Amino acid sequence: MANVVTSSASSAGHWLRPDIVRQLIWYLLIVVLVFWCITAPSRDANLSLYFSFMMWITLASSLNFIAGFAGYMPFGFVAFYGLGAYGTGIAVKVLGLPIWLGVPCGAALGVAFALLVAPSLRLAGIYFAIVSLSLAIICQRVVALLPEWLTGGSLGINLGVVADREHGYYAMVLVLVGVLVTASWLARSRLGKALKAIRDDVEAADAMGIDVARSRLKAWLLAALFASLVGGVDAWFTGAFDTQTAFDVLVTAKTVIYAMAGGLGTALGPVVGAGVLVWVDDQIWRAFPVLNNFLLGLLIVVLILFAPRGIVGSLMQRFPRLRRYVM
Amino acid sequence: MNEVLLLQGLVGGIVFGAIYALIGASLNVMVGVLRVINFAHGEFILAGSFFAYAMLMGLGLNPLYAVAPVAVLFFLAGYGAYFVLIPRLQRSDEPETSSFLLMFGVSLMMIAVLTWIFEADIRPVNFSFDPINVTLLVVEDAYGPGRDGRVIVPTARIVALAVNALMIIALTWFLYRTLTGKAMRAAIMNRDAVQIVGIDVHHLSATAFGLATAIAGVTGVLLAMVVPSVDPNGGPPLALVGFVVIVLGGLGHPVGALLAGVLFGVVEQVATVMLPQAAAQMLGFVILIAVIFFRPSGILGLAVSR
Repeated sequence: MANVVTSSASSAGHWLRPDIVRQLIWYLLIVVLVFWCITAPSRDANLSLYFSFMMWITLASSLNFIAGFAGYMPFGFVAFYGLGAYGTGIAVKVLGLPIWLGVPCGAALGVAFALLVAPSLRLAGIYFAIVSLSLAIICQRVVALLPEWLTGGSLGINLGVVADREHGYYAMVLVLVGVLVTASWLARSRLGKALKAIRDDVEAADAMGIDVARSRLKAWLLAALFASLVGGVDAWFTGAFDTQTAFDVLVTAKTVIYAMAGGLGTALGPVVGAGVLVWVDDQIWRAFPVLNNFLLGLLIVVLILFAPRGIVGSLMQRFPRLRRYVM
Repeated sequence: MNEVLLLQGLVGGIVFGAIYALIGASLNVMVGVLRVINFAHGEFILAGSFFAYAMLMGLGLNPLYAVAPVAVLFFLAGYGAYFVLIPRLQRSDEPETSSFLLMFGVSLMMIAVLTWIFEADIRPVNFSFDPINVTLLVVEDAYGPGRDGRVIVPTARIVALAVNALMIIALTWFLYRTLTGKAMRAAIMNRDAVQIVGIDVHHLSATAFGLATAIAGVTGVLLAMVVPSVDPNGGPPLALVGFVVIVLGGLGHPVGALLAGVLFGVVEQVATVMLPQAAAQMLGFVILIAVIFFRPSGILGLAVSR
């Protein structure tokens, strides 16, 4: 907690210090959010909507670890999600593990892949983005080439028989809590500050004695971990997937957009962005079944042109006082 | 390995490679001059394909006649779209990432409109030249005594290749021999310096955007001749090919992209003949990653490492 003390030494002793208020607001938000999601099945709410709500918040938050804090834009983010799903599916179908053990296997596969491709973190800007995108495509093709007894071929893997939908829902709540707690830790931790320092000026951060490569790798692995957990849990909840759905470019695109819409670099941003846009997306689907993608695209264009820092980022720019209260 | 099959793959590779070269060249103008990572490039190309398809269905005209109107209309549309989309973008913190997202939104809108007008099915483009096929080469006794192998190419592909070659020559001439073209190459090298020497950077950028859009549209028309079907959801793979080609050829290097496009096309088509489909589709991306890691400077030598 050393940073808390340094950031507000002037008003020390007062319990209403901005950083305390900031944490109170954030943790209260988490508690309300989680309570609201946990009680959804007993309120007989639309489980699919709540599930996608949690799933996109988790994906956007984990993308934020690498994009917001470390400044990389992984356009092949879906690879982790897809490998998480396939790892889980293979562990359950081929190895015969129970599904709650399968999901960690999927996550292990995702993290192992992240380690394997970690050298791509050396690349800058658009080169990193393109390599990341290509790696995701290679992943999809490799999975498609694997024998049918392992990955189910073009039919994919069906977990519907062994996986209980409602249990999958609660597993998603757990992953959501995990990612939010990690985000709040990262926002205040030494690692989070090191990452932001590296993002803003590599040479300066290096000169200050920050281990650049190591910090980036940690952010990368954290992002991979949660994205592949989401892949596994989504397979648990929906029960079926194939190489098309598990490695869909739209998963990456939506994750990036939701995170950017809220605002990268703050823990709150992706939560707000994913929350608002999943809701808007759902409303658009209901109201305009024909032109929904057109309106979603228009929304993205307007957002990028008029609020390029996202909802939270733009608000903070407009009202700098808010900065003190945003995690 | 069957010699005829290999030659057939090679010819197909050159036809597709020329298309890829054109995709790479137009994307390169956009990325180089404007620093816009155009995720919607595939949809720009598709729009050209659908324009040709609509002309064929509505007026019964061969796609070849769509080349000129597409070039003019797409240039004007691109020139205008620049002022709506791009100038605001330059003010954001990270113009490259923002441009990617912006163009992703544009791509969603374009797919929605194309799907709305033409519906989501893959449609055949029914047109023909006379004769339908041309035999390029006869390999005697390729399949045993008395059974010759023929390397056959559809006439439409040869016509597309010819138009394609003309476009490439015209583009190269434009970039290296005209004042506007030279200004564009200068903007690729250093955008700030271009403004200092008194070039109207907005007009130049809008022209570049229009030019890239026009080439993309014409590429779409040619693509509809080479692969006679149109699919509103076929855009992302095309954009991806464009990115692969410009990285292979060196970002911001228009001629490098042409070579890389042909290379990528030949490798892909020959691999399609020789390997399982999924492996063939993968090969290009493996090459891409290898190039980035082992020859990271591309042709121009831009810094790619952090």
